[in-house]
Amino acid sequence: MGTYALLWQDICGFKSEVRRKMKILSKEDFSEFVNSLVNDESLNVIGVKSKGNKFAFGPLESANELRLDYDVTLLPPKKYFFPQRETLFTYSLANGQSAKNPAETKATVIIGVHPYDIVALFHMDEIFRETKSDPYYFEKRNSTVIIGVNIQKMSKWNFSPFMGCATVDYGYDLMLTDLGNRYAISVGSQKGGELLAKYAKNVTSALTRDITLVGQKKREIVNMSNQKFDFPTDLIPELLKKTYGESGFWEEHSEKCLACGSCVLVCPTCYCFDVKDNPDLSMENVERIRTWDGCLLEDFAKIASGENFRPTRPTRYRHRYFKKGKYLFDRFGFISCVGCGRCSSNCLPNIANPVDLFNDMYHESLNMGLHVAAAATPEVNIQSEGNIDYVPRLATIVRKEQMTANETLFEIKLDDSSELGHKPGQFAEISVFGIGEAPISISSPPTKKGTFEICVRKLGNVTNKLHTLKVGDKVGVRGPFGNGFDTDALKGKDLLFVAGGLGIAPLRSLFNYVLDNRKDYGHVVLLYGCKEPRELLFSEEMQAVSRRPDVDFKSTVNWCPDNEAWGGNIGVITTLIPQVSFDPDKIYAIVCGPPVMYKYVIADLKGRKVPDDHIIVSLERRMKCGVGKCGHCQINEIYVCKDGPVFNYSKIKGIPEAL
Amino acid sequence: MKPKVAFFDFAGCEGDQLQVANLEEELLTLLGQVEVVSFREVMKEHSDNYDIAFIEGSCTRLQDEDRLKQIRKNAKIVVAIGSCATIGGINSLRNYKELDEVRRTVYGENAKLFDTYAARPIDAVITVDAYVHGCPIDRDEFLQVVKSLLLGKRPDIPTYPVCVECKKNENVCAFERGQYCVGTVTRAGCNSCCVNQGTICWGCRGLVDNPNENSHKEVLIKFGLTVDDAIGKFKLYFGWQEGKR
Repeated sequence: MGTYALLWQDICGFKSEVRRKMKILSKEDFSEFVNSLVNDESLNVIGVKSKGNKFAFGPLESANELRLDYDVTLLPPKKYFFPQRETLFTYSLANGQSAKNPAETKATVIIGVHPYDIVALFHMDEIFRETKSDPYYFEKRNSTVIIGVNIQKMSKWNFSPFMGCATVDYGYDLMLTDLGNRYAISVGSQKGGELLAKYAKNVTSALTRDITLVGQKKREIVNMSNQKFDFPTDLIPELLKKTYGESGFWEEHSEKCLACGSCVLVCPTCYCFDVKDNPDLSMENVERIRTWDGCLLEDFAKIASGENFRPTRPTRYRHRYFKKGKYLFDRFGFISCVGCGRCSSNCLPNIANPVDLFNDMYHESLNMGLHVAAAATPEVNIQSEGNIDYVPRLATIVRKEQMTANETLFEIKLDDSSELGHKPGQFAEISVFGIGEAPISISSPPTKKGTFEICVRKLGNVTNKLHTLKVGDKVGVRGPFGNGFDTDALKGKDLLFVAGGLGIAPLRSLFNYVLDNRKDYGHVVLLYGCKEPRELLFSEEMQAVSRRPDVDFKSTVNWCPDNEAWGGNIGVITTLIPQVSFDPDKIYAIVCGPPVMYKYVIADLKGRKVPDDHIIVSLERRMKCGVGKCGHCQINEIYVCKDGPVFNYSKIKGIPEAL
Repeated sequence: MKPKVAFFDFAGCEGDQLQVANLEEELLTLLGQVEVVSFREVMKEHSDNYDIAFIEGSCTRLQDEDRLKQIRKNAKIVVAIGSCATIGGINSLRNYKELDEVRRTVYGENAKLFDTYAARPIDAVITVDAYVHGCPIDRDEFLQVVKSLLLGKRPDIPTYPVCVECKKNENVCAFERGQYCVGTVTRAGCNSCCVNQGTICWGCRGLVDNPNENSHKEVLIKFGLTVDDAIGKFKLYFGWQEGKR
C-alpha cells in the first residue's frame, strides 16, 4: 500500500473518531438542554449574558439569557476558579485556631467559553500546579464542566489567531459550533459526554457534512482578526530579550500609562494576588482573604521598609510584557498571552495593545540591524508535589529579648512540639492574628532544637504588632520557605560573612551553624556593620565571637554620636574589607544587608579578586505567599521566595532587577 | 477598657457623620468595641476625654485652627473623615475664586463680618493619623478603619485608582457608556460604588499619590471633552491637591 493510501486510512479513522465524538443538537433542543441544567438545583449554571452594551459571565436563569454570539466578555471565566476576593480560611482572633472555609460543593457548568479563554485556563492550571498545587483553585476547577463555543463575532481587538488560540482541540468538556439551525457539539471529555447524555434530548451523531462545516467555520475564524502582527509571534521571547535594556523604548511606550492596572486585571492569564486579614466587627473571628493584585500598580513590589523594587511606570510596564512573553515562556514553554484583546480594549490611553507594542519592537529591531530568530523551545520541567497549605501552624513566643529600640529577638516554639526543620538562610511566614502575615528570616541555626528564633525590626503592621506581643502569646507560622544556604557545598571552605544592619539576622543562622560544626569549615571571618553603636544587634554574642581564636571578627558603625561609646572602626561596611586577609580562591563571601549595600560590597570583593561564583547573597523582597504564586517577590524571571532568597552572584549578576 | 471616641465637624455638610449614624445594626456591634463620648449629631452629652477623634469638614478660617489643635492635643489618634477633611474636598472649589467675591456671594452685605481663608484639609493644620476618604464616606471603609485602629494597625488605604475596583466589579467602563470619569486618577477604596450604579467617578477620594494627570486629561479630550471641561473635571474635588491654595 502506498503512503497516500495509508494517509487516507488515517484520515478516515480520524473522521470516524471525530464523528463519534461530534454530536448534533437542534437549537430548540439546545435551549431545552440549557434549561434542564438550570432547573437542576444541584448545579450552578453560568453563561455569557449581555451587560449594558458588553457581555459578562454570570448565573443563568434561563437559556433565553444566553448570548453565544458575543464578541468578548468583560472579565474572563477565571473569576470562577480564582475569584476577585476569596476567603482562604477563618480563624479565632483570641487563639488563632483556624477553620477551613467550607468548600463549595456545587458542581458548576460554564457555558460559552471561547477557545482563547480555554487556552488561558490551561495556562492558569499549569501556573497554579507548579511546585505545589493551589487547592482553592483546583477544588473549583475540578468541579466545573466547561462548555466552549467557537467564536462567531470577534472583538476588534482580538488577535488570538496569531497566538494560535482562536480555536482549540483540548481543554473543554463540550465545544459548540453554531451551524445555523443547530449546534455541532464536540465531546472533549467523559464528563462532557455524560452531561449531554443526562440533560439533552434528541442528540444525534454528526454527519460528514456537519464535520466539514465545523472545519470550514474554524478555518474562517482564523482569518477573522482585525489585528495584524508584522512578524511570526514565536519571535516574541527573543525580541523581548533584545529590547530589555532599551530604556528609551519603554519610557516612550509607557509615557501615558495611568498605572491603573486595567490591563492586568482583565487578563485571563494574570494570577498575581495579595493576601490580607479581615476581622469581623465583633473582633472575634478573622478571615484571611486573597484578592487580585497587579504588577502595574505602584506598590506591587514595595516592602515594609518603604523600598520599592519596581518604582517607575516604565519598569512595571516592561515587567508585564516580559512576564507574558519571556519569563513564563522560559518557565513553562508557552507565551502566556492568548490574544483575547481585553488589555487593549480596556486601556484608555491605548498603550496596552500587545500587537502595537510588539510590532514597534520588531520594526525598531530591524532599524537597529538586529537579527532576531525564534528562541529554542525551553526545556520545561514542571514538578508538582502536594498542595500549598495557606493555614499557619500555631506557635508560642517562649522568649522575647529586646535588642535595640526597634529590633527584638523572638524565640518561638511550635505548639505541636515539632521542629521547624529549616536550613540556614530560609524564612518563615509569621502571622500576627488580626493583622496578617509577613516573611521573616530565621535567625537561629538548625542545630538549635525545640525552638527557633527570629530577629524582627518594627517596620510595618505585622512587625509593629509583633513587638507588642508577650511571652506566652500565640503566633502563626508557615514554612520554612526558600532555598537556604548550601551548607554541604560550603564544607571545607573559608567563609567571609558580610552583614549590614538587619542582614545579620539570616546570616546568623548560617554563622552559628558553622560555629556549631566548626571543624567542617575553614577560616571564618565575620564583618558586621550598622549605622550607629546603639543599633548593633546580638551585641553580647558578637563580643563572645570577638574573643574566639577561630573567628576573625570585625565590626563597624557608619557614625558614632557624641553621647555614645564606640572604640571600633567608624565607616561603612566596605571599610572593613581591606582590614582582613583571605585567600580569594578559597574564600566564599556570604553577603546580606540593605539593598544599597550589595553593589559596593561586591565591587570591593571583586577588587580583592574573589571570583563571582564565590559570592553568595541573600536578597529581600515582598514575599507574600512564599510559594512562588503571588508574584510580588519576582525579580525578572526568578521568584525570590522559591528560587532564593539565597543566590550565587554569578547566577544573578546578569539579572538587572536583582541588585 | 473600650477606647473613647468623639466626633467633630468643621466646614462640611455633616454627611459623613450621618453615614456613621446610619450604620444601623453594625452601630450596635461597633458600640460593643468603643465608647462614644461626643457626637453632636446623635447625642447631647459631650466630654473632652477621648482617645480617638473623628473630624469631618475642611478648615476654612484661621480661628478654627485653635479648635483643631485642641482636639489634636486631647486625642491619641486623629482620623479625618470625608473629602472636606481629607483633601479639602468640594470646599476647595472656592480656592479658584477671589476670597472677597466668595464672601460677598455667600454673605452679601455682611461679608465683612465673616473672615475666611482658602479651604484646606485638616492635615494642613494638624497631624492626621488616619484617613477615611469619600464624599460621603463609605460605611464599610469607616468600619475597616475603626477595626484597624482597634487592633493597632495602620489602616489599609489603597494607593491605586478606582479602575482597579471597577475592573474587579466587572463594570462597563464609563467611557464605553459615553460618560467622562476621573476614576483613573482617583484613589480607590469605595469599591467603585458610583460606577457600579451606572454613573461616573467624580474624584471624591482625591488623587492617587502619583497620578498621571496629563495622560488622563488627554484621554478626556480624546473621548470628546473640551480642554476646559477636562480641566473642570479636576477642579471639583482636586483643588487643594492640585495646588490651589
